[in-house]
Amino acid sequence: MDKKPLLIAEHIDKRFGITHAVNDVSLTIDAGEIRGLIGENGSGKSTFSQMLCGIYTIGGGSFTLDGEKLHIRNQVEANNVGIAIIVQEMGTLSGLTVAENIFLGHEEPFMHFGIKDTGAMNREAQRLLNEYGFGRIKAADMIDHYNFEDRKLVEIVKATYSKPKILVVDETTTALSQNGRLELYKIMDAVRADNRTVIFISHDLGEVLAHTDSVSVLRDGEYIDTVRSSDVTEDDLKRLMVGREIGSAYYRTDYGQKISEEVVLKVENVSVPKEIRNISFSLHKGEILGFGGLSECGMHEVGKAIFGASWDRSGSVTLADGTVISNIPTAIRHSIAYASKDRDNESIILNESIRNNVVLPSIDDLANRGLLNQRKLTQFAEKHAADMQTKMQNVNQFVSDLSGGNKQKVVLARWIGKGSDILVLDSPTRGIDVKVKQAIYALMSELKEQGKSIIMISEEIPELLGMADRILIMKDGVINGEFLRHPELSEEDLIEKMV
Amino acid sequence: MNNETIREPSRFRDKLRAFFGSDSFKGLLPFIGLVVIIIVMNILTQGKILTAKRLRLLLSQVYYPMIVATGVFFVMTLGSIDFTEGSTLGLASIVISKLSFYSIPLAILGGILTGAAIGAINGFFHVKFKLQSFIITICTMYLFRGVCAYMTTETAVPASAAIKALDQNWLKITITVAVLVIAWFLFRFTRIGNDVKAVGSGETAARFSGVHTDRVKFLVFVAAGALTGLAAFVNVIKVGSITSTAGNQLETQILISLVLGGLPITGGAKVRFSNIVVGTLMYTILNNGLVMMGFESQTQQLIKGIIFLLFVALTIDRKALKVIK
Amino acid sequence: MSKTLEKLKASRYYGLVLLGAMLLFFYGVFKILTPGNFGSLSNLYTYLQSSIIYSVGGCGLYFIVVMGLFDFAVGANIVLSSIVGVILSSKFGYAGFILGCLGCGTLIGFLIGMLYNNLNVPSMIVTVGLMLIFESVAVFVAGGVKQTLAPELRFFSGAPGNIILAGLAFLLMYFILNYTKIGTYCNAIGSNEFTAKNMGINVKKYKLIGFMLLHFFVGIMAILTVSYGTTMTALTGMSTMSRNFQPLMGTFFGVAFRKYKMPITAIIVGEFIISIIFNGFVALGAPTTIQNVVTGGALLVIVSLTARGGKGSVVK
Repeated sequence: MDKKPLLIAEHIDKRFGITHAVNDVSLTIDAGEIRGLIGENGSGKSTFSQMLCGIYTIGGGSFTLDGEKLHIRNQVEANNVGIAIIVQEMGTLSGLTVAENIFLGHEEPFMHFGIKDTGAMNREAQRLLNEYGFGRIKAADMIDHYNFEDRKLVEIVKATYSKPKILVVDETTTALSQNGRLELYKIMDAVRADNRTVIFISHDLGEVLAHTDSVSVLRDGEYIDTVRSSDVTEDDLKRLMVGREIGSAYYRTDYGQKISEEVVLKVENVSVPKEIRNISFSLHKGEILGFGGLSECGMHEVGKAIFGASWDRSGSVTLADGTVISNIPTAIRHSIAYASKDRDNESIILNESIRNNVVLPSIDDLANRGLLNQRKLTQFAEKHAADMQTKMQNVNQFVSDLSGGNKQKVVLARWIGKGSDILVLDSPTRGIDVKVKQAIYALMSELKEQGKSIIMISEEIPELLGMADRILIMKDGVINGEFLRHPELSEEDLIEKMV
Repeated sequence: MNNETIREPSRFRDKLRAFFGSDSFKGLLPFIGLVVIIIVMNILTQGKILTAKRLRLLLSQVYYPMIVATGVFFVMTLGSIDFTEGSTLGLASIVISKLSFYSIPLAILGGILTGAAIGAINGFFHVKFKLQSFIITICTMYLFRGVCAYMTTETAVPASAAIKALDQNWLKITITVAVLVIAWFLFRFTRIGNDVKAVGSGETAARFSGVHTDRVKFLVFVAAGALTGLAAFVNVIKVGSITSTAGNQLETQILISLVLGGLPITGGAKVRFSNIVVGTLMYTILNNGLVMMGFESQTQQLIKGIIFLLFVALTIDRKALKVIK
Repeated sequence: MSKTLEKLKASRYYGLVLLGAMLLFFYGVFKILTPGNFGSLSNLYTYLQSSIIYSVGGCGLYFIVVMGLFDFAVGANIVLSSIVGVILSSKFGYAGFILGCLGCGTLIGFLIGMLYNNLNVPSMIVTVGLMLIFESVAVFVAGGVKQTLAPELRFFSGAPGNIILAGLAFLLMYFILNYTKIGTYCNAIGSNEFTAKNMGINVKKYKLIGFMLLHFFVGIMAILTVSYGTTMTALTGMSTMSRNFQPLMGTFFGVAFRKYKMPITAIIVGEFIISIIFNGFVALGAPTTIQNVVTGGALLVIVSLTARGGKGSVVK
């Protein structure tokens, strides 16, 4: 072996209360490789990498980097020994300049006797930005003036300018457009070429296989295996992640089913400033209509527009009986349900009980002449949460304690309870592990059987191919292509219309 | 064998800790505090605080703060804050006093409408311009405090003899109890309570669940103002003439009372209706007890401040506050 | 075209123009209405002298407000520190006066910061409690009597003393914001406390520093306040509450103009604008009791113009 191990993790362990998040994980990563790290939600991959980066304290075991044992207490100390992370959420801070963000926590080179040389700091930041090819971003500007994508690029500069020995990329790509992803892959390749290492965490297995040298798999907090990316397929990885065969039952298997002629929802010339332009389509009874595209293509706004949640919407959304949907309460009253991509902010109330989350839209139906019977509400919530097999102690538990998959079950329980006929599901399986995913797909098929109509907006192409009767592809705010369900339909066909 | 003896007490301690850390215990704390304060005050004043005469005096000081606190309770459940109670009470009292010479029902209506109007201004700016309630109500507090001062520049505003004749306990008790019962009913048995709590816990998600968030917020501010206007009526029949200091610092007093009553400052799911009653009673008893013990006003205030801080530090639910601001 | 417009809107010149326009507008309105007894140069100089006192406090509050915290004990500390300063001045002259105000001010800030950090209670609540306590402490310290600053110690009561001291305070603020880590870190904590912590920022330490800086500025404000008024009486009953709000208005301006990278200018000009409006009304013949109406109303208009949240944003 010509490569020498860069990072050795030995018996890494972490508990959160009763949850054993990481259970005795040992693995070795070489210098000059890109290592994928995958696993279902709750498999411990994020906890593991965040311990390495000093975000969590290490529960047990040790990391050895370049032959030296690590004693890291926070992210800055991790940076100092050469470990940097790019996180999934917004990692830059508003109210600071671009340069202040890049050097936050690392101002020392610009400090002289406690006085900060702001000019030198701005010049150095600008030099770095130019070097990365992001020269249009100005170091002295407030970061607030830049959009999400540019702020992510600033974060990439921040994480990598010090040439860390290990760069951890934690589910960053879900937040990036195609261009942003390409920039990131380029930087990852550059790190490898420099004989340094990238740990790449992603749910997108295709992406993982395409851009890594080897992949380590975790399951239920335990280390399972490390495989060479060139030797395996996505199905192999799935098998390792779940621990059993995920067969064809994953998606729908039927083809050639006829969609009903009956139109339940008509969208005409809907536009939202800066988001979507002149969107028109109809939704049929019992149809699963997929929406696909790059994350900034406007498809997420389409979901909001149908639900009456968009600001400054023009055009019309009409139901079969002629009801015009222009605001959320009307939408809900007329049997439209909506599960947002931004689950924690827009779908559920985190600091509230499961019970109150489930009953909220149905509260008028459950009231008797405006009067509420608290026991009836509890029973309602219990029934629907249990139907969804939500893992919980009882319905009074707060939603903030639940995992991503269980939160989504609460969201679905709410709309099943409401008895909605049209469900707008935006990224229904985003950040959700394989088992719950399967349950959600099964539920969608069942709802379809009952004659309910579903609009599924998704960034995952296999999901669209596997579940939708009809797929609309969007690009730059307009509909750019339409496909009917067919076994021959391939990912390439859809991608061609996206980019 | 040894192991067993060591483990036994620790398991007991775990159970104890689990109980004291639980929400149900935290919910009880304000009640326990109230009982403790009553007992301590009773001992320190050698039982004088529980005499009928004292209790009557005590009650007379509870009415209008409790009515006001009921309105503010809803505002704080939203996670918002309202600093205008004092100036609203002052202005509404002036309106009531002036109208009391024409007709008493008109005066009451005038007071309530004045309060509701101020609440509507707060709510309008808060909802339409998306400005923090904290900033808005500081501005309007200033504004209406100034109007009060302006209207009482020359002399105090007197009220009619007819309205002063209404200064009777049964009336004040009836109004206060009616307000509490109606508010409790609305909070518990209609969707209003659910909506207000939902907005407090997660406004965006509440909007996506079909709650008319803007309408709810606006109406809560209007209601809080209207209740303060009603409280002004109780105030007028008691004091009879309105000076520029009417209702001075009422907002701080209400804030302290509600926090003493266990109301989480972030609002949302964990508020309890009992916070209003417990908090207001606690504040008033504390106030009276300290007066009876014969302390100077600065000593009273020192003790009040310390008790307030201690109580908050002991009872506050830090889990609900992700970041303590 | 719209790109360049956006660029222009983001630049500090746009902020300056905005502030200047507001200043000119209010000045113009009152100058036209009462040309005789408003707005001569010497008038403006007087308005400025009263407004800079609040601007100094506004600068201090900026550190706390950008972190998302609040402090209701500012007013109580103005009273307490100025009383301590005046008492010490009778023994040690200027040294006692200045060090008394600044020392007492900073010490109180330290106390608030420590209590806030260790009790884990929202700052709004801690400072309401401490306001009660400091008010009564001030009465005890003053012995219940009015404290008067000796006539020979009144250098800061008028120009140039007050201008020099306030100017020094503004320079200090400028220095801290631009040439130390404190400004950056306070902003970072306000933006996202978790991320800031992960970046290795000692959040508790910087919150403590924030409170101490605030109350150091409050100490300066105490010097200016008691010099301007020459006497100070300590009162209980939450009477110091109203003193919190005048400096806060300047801070609102500062926070609103933060995006143009000119908070200090905004604090100074903002307080000056409010002073102009108030004096304009007085010149029109309104009684001084109208002061609060004017400040409240003006502020309401100004925050409506500058601090509005976007569509769908959650404001509490």
